[in-house]
Amino acid sequence: MIGVVLSILIVPLAAGLACVALPARAAAAVTVASGLASFALVLAVVPAAAHHDLSYLSYLRVDALSAIFLLATGFLYGAVAMYAVGYLKGHHDRRFYAGLNLFAWAMLAAPLMSSLALLWIAVEVTTIISALLVAIEDTDGAAEAAWKYVLIASTGLGLALLGTVFAYYAGSQVLGEHYNLAIGPLIAAGPHLPHIPATLAFLLALLGYGTKVGLFPVHTWLPDAHSEAPTPVSALLSGSLLAVSFYAILRFYQFTAAALGSALPRDALLAFGMASLLLAALYVFGQRDVKRLLAYSSVEHMGILAIGVSFGAPVALAGVMLHVLAHAAAKGNAFMGAGVFTVKFGSKQISALRGGLDLLPWSGPLFLLAVFALAAMPPSGIFRSEFQIVYGGLAAGNYAAAAALIAGVTVAFFGLTASATRMLFTPAQLRARSGISRGEPSAWMVVPVIAGVAVLFILGLHPPAELNGLIHRAVTELGAA
Amino acid sequence: MSAALPIPVIQLLQVLTVAVAAPGVTGVIAKVEARLQGRRGPRIAQPYYDLAKLFRKEALAPEGASWFFLAAPLIAVTCYLTIPLLIPVLTSYGLPLGYMGDILGGGFLLSLASFVVATAALETGSPYAQLGSSRAKTFSAIAEPVVLFVVFTVALLTGTDLPYALAATVRSSAGQVIRPAHLLAAAALFMVILHETGRIPVETHTGTNEFGMIEEARAFEHSGPYFALLRWGGQLKQLILFTILADVFLAPWGLASTQRAADIGLAIVALLAKAVAVGCAVAVIDNSFAKLRLFKITEFVSGAFLLAVLGVFTLYLGGG
Amino acid sequence: MNLALTDPALTGTVQAPGVYEGVANVIAAAMLLIEFGMLRQALARDQIRLYAAQSALLSVLAIVIAADRNLPDLYALAALSAGLKVVAVPLVLRRLLGRPGAGSAPDEDEPAGVAGSQTLSPASAVLAGIVLAAYGFFCAGALGIHGPAAPATALAIAAAMVLVAFGLMIVRRDVASQAIGFFSLENAISLAALVVAAGLPLILETAFLFDLLVAVVVFGMLIRAHHTKAESLSTADLTRLRG
Repeated sequence: MIGVVLSILIVPLAAGLACVALPARAAAAVTVASGLASFALVLAVVPAAAHHDLSYLSYLRVDALSAIFLLATGFLYGAVAMYAVGYLKGHHDRRFYAGLNLFAWAMLAAPLMSSLALLWIAVEVTTIISALLVAIEDTDGAAEAAWKYVLIASTGLGLALLGTVFAYYAGSQVLGEHYNLAIGPLIAAGPHLPHIPATLAFLLALLGYGTKVGLFPVHTWLPDAHSEAPTPVSALLSGSLLAVSFYAILRFYQFTAAALGSALPRDALLAFGMASLLLAALYVFGQRDVKRLLAYSSVEHMGILAIGVSFGAPVALAGVMLHVLAHAAAKGNAFMGAGVFTVKFGSKQISALRGGLDLLPWSGPLFLLAVFALAAMPPSGIFRSEFQIVYGGLAAGNYAAAAALIAGVTVAFFGLTASATRMLFTPAQLRARSGISRGEPSAWMVVPVIAGVAVLFILGLHPPAELNGLIHRAVTELGAA
Repeated sequence: MSAALPIPVIQLLQVLTVAVAAPGVTGVIAKVEARLQGRRGPRIAQPYYDLAKLFRKEALAPEGASWFFLAAPLIAVTCYLTIPLLIPVLTSYGLPLGYMGDILGGGFLLSLASFVVATAALETGSPYAQLGSSRAKTFSAIAEPVVLFVVFTVALLTGTDLPYALAATVRSSAGQVIRPAHLLAAAALFMVILHETGRIPVETHTGTNEFGMIEEARAFEHSGPYFALLRWGGQLKQLILFTILADVFLAPWGLASTQRAADIGLAIVALLAKAVAVGCAVAVIDNSFAKLRLFKITEFVSGAFLLAVLGVFTLYLGGG
Repeated sequence: MNLALTDPALTGTVQAPGVYEGVANVIAAAMLLIEFGMLRQALARDQIRLYAAQSALLSVLAIVIAADRNLPDLYALAALSAGLKVVAVPLVLRRLLGRPGAGSAPDEDEPAGVAGSQTLSPASAVLAGIVLAAYGFFCAGALGIHGPAAPATALAIAAAMVLVAFGLMIVRRDVASQAIGFFSLENAISLAALVVAAGLPLILETAFLFDLLVAVVVFGMLIRAHHTKAESLSTADLTRLRG
């Protein structure tokens, strides 16, 4: 198994470095190969991780929680790698492919790190690389979005670093001065940790990593960055990077709950999550840019994740884990579908995207499915996970929060579907005037979306038994209250 | 020759030392500055000659000025001559009249003198004098809280308000010298000194530049003996501030701990040496920097305020 | 008439922290002062110099702590940190902040001035900074965390420095000042790490440092992109993306 884990680390890195030197088409091929290979490797790790923790080389660690986030990233990496080939058809750019591979490498490395310090470094690396990727299209909007993103996210990570320092302090009081911030010993030493540094560590980490997750009020960079980036990058940002940053918060949650009990962390998560959900649900209305719309939807879903963890009931936590996977697939689909629209119609503004169902025989219906799935229509995985979260909330007695959750999700549903249907259905008189021919821009952009939608419905209807085992183990690790 | 001097004599000596030496210190600073510039410079005793000349001249007052205009220089000099009674000038132990006022009292007297002179200048109605007064008071608005915070630092460091106590504390161990609160307060006080004595970067001491003058302008309308008193008062203020900086903060060594005449004599020499040292530092700064434009002086004084506030903060947390 | 030569009122002296602690506190206080100095500077070049000075002080503090607490790792860390933050990063920043494009004038590598980009005058900014620093001081002091390596005051100073660095990023409207504000934020957090986490294994600290270097490069590239597009370092026009 160590070979598999090491390969997960090495393959994307090698691909990224290779892309710098290769000609553009070869770089595209290497990227696709790397993406699919990484997904396969991650799938290979899942059965082992569902049964016991894996530790190698004193700095690598895979447990069920990591495996879930690895799955989310691995799947999107594979899908987006294929999608990118179609998106860049005609103007392949090896810097883009190199960046994409390195970005995925950093996101895959983060859940594998056993030390909070290395986790921070991995997340910082993702910030840096993704900032360059956001700016790669060199438009005015992209430059502005990249600057806001890198400044706000790095500052937030600075706070998270401070939180990590305090976590080290708390740990070193029990584990000795040369403690290397390993997560396992820290959780084990939980009850002995001094309270104030642990609280401080959690709050700073929540605010700091929360900046990268996109929690209100530090989400302001998110709509800009996710909308101005090239679509494959947006899909990775929304689907995987937000999740990996949330993984970091979960690690801090683990040891803080062990040290202080879970009351304070859960309250904090509930506050941030509820604010994010309600704000995003409102902002989803009146968006004129399709990718910005999807970005706000990401904020909403991250809020749902936070709320789910705050409920604390085992079924809610299971819902959170499933939601991570389902959201990765659903958001990836939505962005990829939207990307097809932008390539076909040459604009991101919703008002310019009309008649999808007629002009895009595959992507139109797929986008419709994707958006409905994202908005929690059964039987998508999102519906299942949100149902579990609400059920958990009611079981834990958080009636008000559960009701607010349902309300927020409903509002967002209306916002999303209103805009999406505007993109897909055209009045008859506009159809003739558009002058755009019917047909898909590229098959490479359709296949990943089909795969994604399929995965989403599998997750919703009948998750595989191995996955259920993995989720079950992850829930016990998080320590259901 | 170890006759013990009676205490009243020592107290008188404190005041006399400051009164007599003040113009001399000014003369030394002028000479050092000139030498640094490659000139020969005026003789060191020049300020004495200047004061003597001014005392012989006729006194004039503008029309409409009241008795306050004439009384102000006298009040100012009286305040300045009182302060040496309160601060450690020659001795490391407290003298009886020294308990008349603590360091807060000393700061108050300094402000009173400054206020009186500024008001007298305002009273004249002359444009330059008013200009100087208003500028001086504007910058004092930030500078005087600095003095207060320095006082607070002293108070927090020693638990009392007496400058003697701080001097003893600083002498007690090396750790006391390098604690950040102490260094910050000393730095803040130094910046206040530059501001109060009208040195670069606040004001040019050589020549009157009517766009920039602050201290110089306040004395514009006085003449003859009153002008001499104002000049002397300014020099007294300079030496007093130097003494506070040296004897309380930076170098409280060389003070007499007994009443023997030899020790007192040594203390006088040490005081003059320390004052000249501070004066040399001021002269070097005079020659190294340019005068700040008026609106930037607020930045300078707020910098001093920052240092003083930080000194109090680091102390208040019980560490610095 | 023999007055007591020792004054009985002198017994209220506050205990001095000791030479080592005093030095550590002084260095930390100097770093905070440099942070305030950055609030004043108008030229990017001067801000970079202040940042270099601040990083140098951090290395000196690391050496002091290493000497006192007998942590040989910290010597290596101090050397590395000095090499990176005092030499490499300012060099990279100066190159990247120079005027782009042109190339006609031979000395066009002069970093641009950012005067006029402040929303508050320097004096007001310093006063606002004092308020922020006070808040940071007293919050950190109230926590009562005592690091084994350096005294609690240094931690409070680090917290104040973090807040003042945030203030610097807020009151300045140009990308260079914001970037340097961010780097000084990293310095402040490194100071806190020295106080609280001096024993962190060297490999992790080294990784942090190189990560910082990469971040600097990326920041610089983005600044350059912005500078080329907007012909200025000001962020006042970054208002395209709203809602």
